[in-house]
Amino acid sequence: MNFVWNGPMIAFYIIALGVLGAAVLMLSVRKVVYMALSIGGVFIGAAAIYILLGAEFVAVAQILIYVGAITILMLFAIMLTNHKAEEPPFQWTGRNIFAAVGSVLMAVVLLAVIRSTAWPVQPADVHLNAGNSNPVAIGLVMFKQYAFPFELVSLVLIVGLVGAVILAQERKEDE
Amino acid sequence: MTWTWSNVWHWAAHPLSWPGFVGMLVGAVLVLLLALLVVMYSIYWQRKFIGWIQWRIGPNRVGPWGLFQTVADVLKLLIKEDVIPTGVDRTLFLIAPIFAFVPAFLVLSIIPFSAHHVFTANLGIGVLFYVAVSAITIHGVMLGGWSSNNKWGLIGGMRSAAQMLSYEVPLGMSIVGVVLMAGTLNLNDIVAAQAHTLWYVIPQIVGFVVFIIAGTAEMNRTPFDLPEAESELVAGYHVEYSGFRFAFFMLTEYVYLLAMGGLMATLFLGGWTGPFLPGWLWFAIKVFAFITFQFWLQATMPRMRQDQLMSFSWKVLLPLAMANLVITAVVKALV
Repeated sequence: MNFVWNGPMIAFYIIALGVLGAAVLMLSVRKVVYMALSIGGVFIGAAAIYILLGAEFVAVAQILIYVGAITILMLFAIMLTNHKAEEPPFQWTGRNIFAAVGSVLMAVVLLAVIRSTAWPVQPADVHLNAGNSNPVAIGLVMFKQYAFPFELVSLVLIVGLVGAVILAQERKEDE
Repeated sequence: MTWTWSNVWHWAAHPLSWPGFVGMLVGAVLVLLLALLVVMYSIYWQRKFIGWIQWRIGPNRVGPWGLFQTVADVLKLLIKEDVIPTGVDRTLFLIAPIFAFVPAFLVLSIIPFSAHHVFTANLGIGVLFYVAVSAITIHGVMLGGWSSNNKWGLIGGMRSAAQMLSYEVPLGMSIVGVVLMAGTLNLNDIVAAQAHTLWYVIPQIVGFVVFIIAGTAEMNRTPFDLPEAESELVAGYHVEYSGFRFAFFMLTEYVYLLAMGGLMATLFLGGWTGPFLPGWLWFAIKVFAFITFQFWLQATMPRMRQDQLMSFSWKVLLPLAMANLVITAVVKALV
């Protein structure tokens, strides 16, 4: 393993520490509102990592959708329903022990897979966005190369939207 | 890495270096000072201007023509006791004003104040960055209202979040028309594109109107100031706040006034371009016109009702912005 201590590497470790900190915070706080907020912290950290990788558009979309909309919807749901909800203090039950063992095993397997994979190393002089700005590059790829999958994804979203409306609709026959 | 003194101010175009980093810090501090100054005199101008509209004199006691009135008010807020009521959710109550203010300041980082964008970023995703980051403020407002443990605070926070969330959609859609015409999200390039042709306020007049209305709602200003409706909610989400935490919420509101004015000037009025005068002055004039327009609205319009508010956003503004977008696309494809 070769470490290079340059700016992006240091930034990566700081951001990763922040993301992990927010994730651990999410697991350790007992109030539901705090949990929703710590998830927001994880989302912002992920956006920072995208910026570090040069994917500005994805980063901003991440903030716009996850931090700006999804976290707020979660907060809305929490505040309008059981807004004083707290989790009971942690106890070592059989289920928790099983979950802990499972997560450790999962981590070991993931680490083994990651370490055993030969990652392709990109030559440093290749410009990822091919000279365009990041959103232009994404647009070109999306509408030239992946136009069909892109349309299919929008179909999935439409189905989800219509499904939600049908589920939320008042059932007339019940009255 | 070659480095010269000129890199200190043109850090955006060069790899990161220590002097460039110092330049960035100085730039950020300067933008902060500028924002504070503008906020201070926006509040003064608001009181003076509305005073004139209502046939009053307005502040005239502190300093010549009352020019130091806001300074005195800010000093009063800063030295006030920091009251934290007993029933509040302490952690959230303390950090909510910070959540609200930080994005407000962050969005200033992409506004091109002058032709030589010394202190602001030449970001390829500029407009989107503004829309995305300004959404974080909703957290601050909402948590401030919730953590106060006060019914008016909660209702105000909820209203505010619902309003800002739903008006963000037509706001974004009205911006897309401009982005489509300019062919870029970069604010500096949008200004340059307008310099070649004409200001986008003329071809994008529908988008401009939607932008102004949605922007006013996004800033919670009259006639969309339901979150703070004094006559029914006392003060809305910041009802329990006092001292400098209250000042932070006020600061957020007025920094957004500056930022939204800057965004409007950049997107629709050609930013810093204009004949004869220097660029920064043109920019200042356009932003000043926007701010004055907001105060004029405030003195003129009554408040909307909550049920009118939501349906207006989704049933009027959004279809209008969509239609504008489609027409812009068709015209661009044909011409």
